[in-house]
Amino acid sequence: MNKKKLWISLGGWFEERLGFQAVVDFLRKKKVPQNKHTIWTYTGSAVLLFFVIQVVTGIMLAFYYKPTLEEANKSVARIMTEIPLGWVIRSIHFWSSSFMIAVVFVHLLSIWVIKSYRKPRELTWMTGVFLLILTLAFGFTGYLLPWDDLSLSATKVGTDIPRSIPIIGVWLTKFLRGGEDVTGDTLTRFFSFHVCLLPLGLLFIIGIHVYLIQKLGMSLPLGADVEKERAKELPFWPNFVYREMIVWLIFLGILVSVAVFFPPSLGKVADLMAPAPEGIKPEWYFLFLFQTLKIFPAKILFMSGDTLAVFLILVEGILFFFLPLFDNKPAELKGRVITALAYLFIIYAVVMTVWSLIQ
Amino acid sequence: MKMKGTKNSNKYLILGLLALWGINFIFLTYGFSQTTSSQEKIEQSLAQTKPEKIIPSPQNIKESTAIYVFVGWMWASIFILIYFLKLKIKESDRLFKLKFFSENK
Amino acid sequence: MKLQHSLFTRRQFLNSLFGGWVAALAATFLYPIVKFIFPPYREPDKVILPFSEFKDMEARAIKSFAWGAKPGYVKKKADGRYTAFVAICTHLDCTVAYLADQKKFYCACHDGWYDEEGRNLSGPPPRPLRQLQVNVEGENLIIKKEGVS
Repeated sequence: MNKKKLWISLGGWFEERLGFQAVVDFLRKKKVPQNKHTIWTYTGSAVLLFFVIQVVTGIMLAFYYKPTLEEANKSVARIMTEIPLGWVIRSIHFWSSSFMIAVVFVHLLSIWVIKSYRKPRELTWMTGVFLLILTLAFGFTGYLLPWDDLSLSATKVGTDIPRSIPIIGVWLTKFLRGGEDVTGDTLTRFFSFHVCLLPLGLLFIIGIHVYLIQKLGMSLPLGADVEKERAKELPFWPNFVYREMIVWLIFLGILVSVAVFFPPSLGKVADLMAPAPEGIKPEWYFLFLFQTLKIFPAKILFMSGDTLAVFLILVEGILFFFLPLFDNKPAELKGRVITALAYLFIIYAVVMTVWSLIQ
Repeated sequence: MKMKGTKNSNKYLILGLLALWGINFIFLTYGFSQTTSSQEKIEQSLAQTKPEKIIPSPQNIKESTAIYVFVGWMWASIFILIYFLKLKIKESDRLFKLKFFSENK
Repeated sequence: MKLQHSLFTRRQFLNSLFGGWVAALAATFLYPIVKFIFPPYREPDKVILPFSEFKDMEARAIKSFAWGAKPGYVKKKADGRYTAFVAICTHLDCTVAYLADQKKFYCACHDGWYDEEGRNLSGPPPRPLRQLQVNVEGENLIIKKEGVS
């Protein structure tokens, strides 16, 4: 039997039992609109690309990383100096996390402005907000793992913030820290979050998010002529996927180049008893929140500035989660105001981040 | 009109692929062989001092060159692959316009 | 020589070129990943120990030491000279024991026996125990890999 016949019969054996031809047919039938918004549709798969890179490099790092108070910093130092090309793998993991979070923000803002969350896609938006929170949690928990002086201080500050939330705040801080204070238990707990809990949660919600996108199809711009748009659409497979591959290749090239020429360093091992080092800062994606907390005065009326700031951020977060339900008249003034809010948020975040950096 | 490749066609394809792999292999062995020689040097320097901060960097001129070679090769490959992808995009768009894959023609 | 038909279609050519190059690029990325996952195991060329710890050994007795990441035995022979073995059974890598009363090395995993020179006597071990060179230089006992001068 020649090779081609062998492949075909093997494929047929699996097809009879798995039925994946249905998936292939669906992907061929799935259409992607071609209009001025199409460029933003590349952000979704870019997030997935960086996530896959994180999983692969993360698993590799976990081969040598030891998540205990005594060994964490030493094991990262070993990865960077003894293990062949360990510093490259660590650098890619470090940079890919920043790239992933940056692309998540771009993805979110583009959906906000284009209003892709209009009915029936409200749940897609809401699962997306969960994905944003999980991604930021990945960044926050991963930052502690090298256990150097900067990351310890950043975690102390970061895990103190939920304390201001009414009712559940103190409990939440204790849950994150594994006690009252940041200790070796916090490190092991964060490691468990970072490699077990968060990946499971993320994969589950990505499943729902991607399913909803396939089921509901790609959205069209506000006020678009449906007939005209349908005529311009391209099949997802293979036309759009080839275009996505170009984007992936470019992102991959930029990531590897940056990782190879700007690898992260490792500070000296964290000392639980030492005073906070100067100039502690969270990662860049938290800077705008960090600066917001800083500008609130220590006391406003009867509440502490911190509590009010956290409360406001929380309220805004909840409103943000229910955004599709608020934006029920997207074409009218209300809708335009909500779009303007997106631009206002961008300006606010950039200004706060820059301010935080130059201080 | 369907064109069928002859038996020889597979041979040339395989030879071509082997040549491509060969070029890549040369780059790999040259490039990454540079990094392993520096392991002992790093260990010695680490044992002597306990640095405040560990800043990773290539240890010698060979390793720095290897990094540039790798990054250059990677970008060259990326541009070539993007060129191929553009050809494939042109072709698949053309086929779609001709309704090559649709059920009712 | 002009061919009647093309050897392969343009589509085949482009797809093979594309796929082949992707595979080559993937291999370029795979190489550092594989190197990372299989770090080089370096056995020490020599191990230096203080001689004082071995000076008072009885004849035909052993004392364990660390040969890199592997266990090793220093043995004082009947004539007072020292030798050393890598205490790993040549069958399936279990750590061997030294039975002082029988003056034999014994591997409990599959009943392997070696004599006091490390030669395999009975049971599954296919080869004698690895023997290392031992020199006394001043205050130090120097144990070297076989073949290292």
